[in-house]
Amino acid sequence: MGTDQQVRVAQLGRLERLPWRRIILVILGVTIATTVGVGAYRTLTLPEGQGYAARAWGDFIVLGLAQGSIYALIALGYTLVYGILRMINFAHGEVFMFGAFGSYFFANAYEESGFLERQPIVALAIILGVAIATSVVVAVLLERIAYRPLRGAPRLVPLITAIGASLFLQNTARGFFGAQTRGYAKPGFLEGRWEIIGVAFPRIRVVVFLVALVSVVLLTLFIEKTTTGKSMRAVAEDSEIASLMGINVDRVIVITFAIGGVLAGIAGVLFAMTFEAVNFFMGFQPGIAAFTAAVLGGIGSIAGAALGGLTLGLLESLGPSLILTGYQVPSPFQLKPAFTFLVLVLVLIFRPGGILGTGEAEKV
Amino acid sequence: MGPVPLRSVLRAGAAGGFVLIFLSLVGLIGRFADLNLVGEQVTLGRVLLFLPPFGAAFLVARPRVVAGERLAAGPGAGAGAGAVTGVVTSALFGAAVAFADWFDVARIRQVFVAASPAVIEFVTFERGVAVGVLILLGLGVVAGALGGLARTGQRRVTGALAAGAFTAILMGLLQRIVPVAMQELGIDPDFLYSGRTRSLTWGGGVGLFVLAGGANVLWHRSGQETREKVRATMAQEPAARTGILVVLLAVLVILPVLLGSVISQVLGSVMVFVLLGLGLNIVVGYAGLLDLGYVAFYAFGAYMMALLTGATLNTTTGSAAPAFSMDLNFYFAIWIVVVLAAGMGLLIGAPVLRLRGDYLAIVTLGLGEIVRVLAESRWLQPVVGGPQGMRGVTNAAIGDYGFRQPQHFYYLALAFVVLAVFVSWRLSASRIGRAWNAMREDEQVANAMGVSTTKYKLLAFAMGGAVGSLGGALFAVQIGSLTPASFQILVSITALAVVILGGLGSLPGVVAGALVLIGLPGLLREFEEFRLLIYGAVLVAIMVLRPQGLLPNVRRMRELHEEEAAQDEWVRRFAEGADEAAAVGALPGGPLGVEQEDLT
Repeated sequence: MGTDQQVRVAQLGRLERLPWRRIILVILGVTIATTVGVGAYRTLTLPEGQGYAARAWGDFIVLGLAQGSIYALIALGYTLVYGILRMINFAHGEVFMFGAFGSYFFANAYEESGFLERQPIVALAIILGVAIATSVVVAVLLERIAYRPLRGAPRLVPLITAIGASLFLQNTARGFFGAQTRGYAKPGFLEGRWEIIGVAFPRIRVVVFLVALVSVVLLTLFIEKTTTGKSMRAVAEDSEIASLMGINVDRVIVITFAIGGVLAGIAGVLFAMTFEAVNFFMGFQPGIAAFTAAVLGGIGSIAGAALGGLTLGLLESLGPSLILTGYQVPSPFQLKPAFTFLVLVLVLIFRPGGILGTGEAEKV
Repeated sequence: MGPVPLRSVLRAGAAGGFVLIFLSLVGLIGRFADLNLVGEQVTLGRVLLFLPPFGAAFLVARPRVVAGERLAAGPGAGAGAGAVTGVVTSALFGAAVAFADWFDVARIRQVFVAASPAVIEFVTFERGVAVGVLILLGLGVVAGALGGLARTGQRRVTGALAAGAFTAILMGLLQRIVPVAMQELGIDPDFLYSGRTRSLTWGGGVGLFVLAGGANVLWHRSGQETREKVRATMAQEPAARTGILVVLLAVLVILPVLLGSVISQVLGSVMVFVLLGLGLNIVVGYAGLLDLGYVAFYAFGAYMMALLTGATLNTTTGSAAPAFSMDLNFYFAIWIVVVLAAGMGLLIGAPVLRLRGDYLAIVTLGLGEIVRVLAESRWLQPVVGGPQGMRGVTNAAIGDYGFRQPQHFYYLALAFVVLAVFVSWRLSASRIGRAWNAMREDEQVANAMGVSTTKYKLLAFAMGGAVGSLGGALFAVQIGSLTPASFQILVSITALAVVILGGLGSLPGVVAGALVLIGLPGLLREFEEFRLLIYGAVLVAIMVLRPQGLLPNVRRMRELHEEEAAQDEWVRRFAEGADEAAAVGALPGGPLGVEQEDLT
């Protein structure tokens, strides 16, 4: 064998050892970073009157945080179920929609009778209660009828079931409540803005953020401090061992779905009051966004879902205007849904474990 | 009640009742109240009233395993238990009806828009609530007893009755297609169908029932032999296979002539979805990659075809030329579209290659949505027309023979379907197909055996994308104009339902799935509203009850069953229902085979 050939073989070997994937990823990453950086720079240096005022950016941030906290609430439902069953409950967005729709009838009846203005707090509590109850019923039925028979089935089977269930629930709502969008009443004290340290915050956004914050804190306490929470953690760790330890796994799974339903119900009311409308299709976009948030934060982790929700909310409200305006894309907000998905794709490519997770999405 | 525990009866009965209430509230019963099937008496609405108690009883009378022994109820006990189940079902439903009547339907209607006095009237047989509920109870007894008998009676008899009933109902549902075809053939359809009631005549209905039942009996008496003879001939004589293929093609070719323009239009849509199903089948069925963004290829094919053949943008003032446009011949453009779509498949596939199945599904879903959002956006309006879309897509004319007209379009679509079926069929038998099989069954093992999973995954995305874009391009030719509204995520899910219903990896399954899921709703306008509800139910039901689909691919079925054997938890619930799970688990021989034949 001549040296020439040996050298060539060695070179070939080196070529093969080159980490192509990593090189492509680095190139992709640099491209994206440059695009984002240049876009943001150009947007921020637009001449006076063409770009956004500082006040507008403040509004974007408030809006993003409020929207993100709703995402966080829904994302918790995905994360809890994923943590325990390792399945994506694709129909969770529909659970959220049913909560909003269920409470709609109460909210509007109370508005008509004037109860919403006379006793706003009581009325709100009842509305929340109804939303939670509706969502919990839907979530538990979903688990019982569609998912339980498939436990341990090949992975794609429950996912396809979940997609079917989502479609089914969506069109059930359409059949039950009709196809038109309906206005959702909210009490007068949530209209307008609050002046806090010189900045005017829309009241509804502040309330949304606070309610979501309290819910997440309560959920964390529940998972960390109660016996039920402990058994949930045990089942998430290893359901077989947990059942050997005397934990009723079926019960824990039902509780998990129910908790997801509670949070989705709360999110449903917050969402409906923010946008003052409900329709049968409202679960799809927030559902996908919330799933993205869960993945972004690190699926399976509660803190991750909360963090991912807020991050995604901010990215969504700031991103399109910050980056795309610089490139003179007309109506950048139209592209918001695409932006959400792009974030999801990029997270899965660059950091499949999410912000708080480590490593890659396991391959099976 | 012998081997049927009371708890089970009550539970199934209650479930049946809730199903009935659901069907009424979601609007199905009201919508189908006047859809006559046989005469004016058998309407689809009444069939829907009959089915829940029947089904609940059918479930209750199933054989079960108690302490290791298989107990099957006799016909007497089956009918008895069934009747009680049926009564529970209709009692629950009757109570709901009575409540609705007492509470005032108008008030319920403020929440449930489908609840109307007309529905109450229909479910009480227009005789007032008191009498109506009594009739409902009677119906429950009869339907329940029949359901119990259907499970416990002699297979030969029940099979024949079921075949008869099924045929009569199906022919009743096909009331808009069969008479037209008969007229075209020169047969007067009056003896079978009545134009006045728009349904089968009673004579026709009973005749069909007897005919189909009799055929079923004959088939079972001599069927085994005949079937084997046919199979042997098929295996030994290539000429026989070719003959059947020729006959099949001949039927397909004369079909639109027989069926007229309206039904050909539906058939055209079926063909487009057959193409989508075939493409998705390559990705999901062969390679095992769940792609929910399949609409991306469909949209890409349609818009690309429009741009390449000189379509114009719709604007508020008229039309405008797109920023990019060519004026190619359809038969040249289609190949460019296909090649570009394959390239797009590679582009979509490359970044998501390493993701696990369920992540892959969501990411592709996202990519599909991105395509629609882009098509709608003002940003790309100069290219694809934004929300107003485009018009003036080529009609693929050869000389003066354009393909926009439904009957003509059918032939164009048929040609491409035949091509796609051939390609899929050859692929599945080829080295590539086997590599996909290996990859789907176990990626790591396939990799270790020297199958380059990266390469084959990309290939699956490219091939699937190419076939999907064919569907899109044909769709563009079919309707001539495009708007983003045609490219919703629902297209992906519909294509998935088509593939799943027929059976993953099964080519006849794709055709059957498209016929049922696209053809039936297309023929019966009443279904349109509930199309998606039914798709959702189909996806769940198939996955829970029969994951291999209606016309399964043999290998794929074996696979699903092997997995079952390994995953006993699933099987146990699958076979026996959760409450008997513990008893079965203790069986020495394991739970397999006990009741599988009844459910799968």
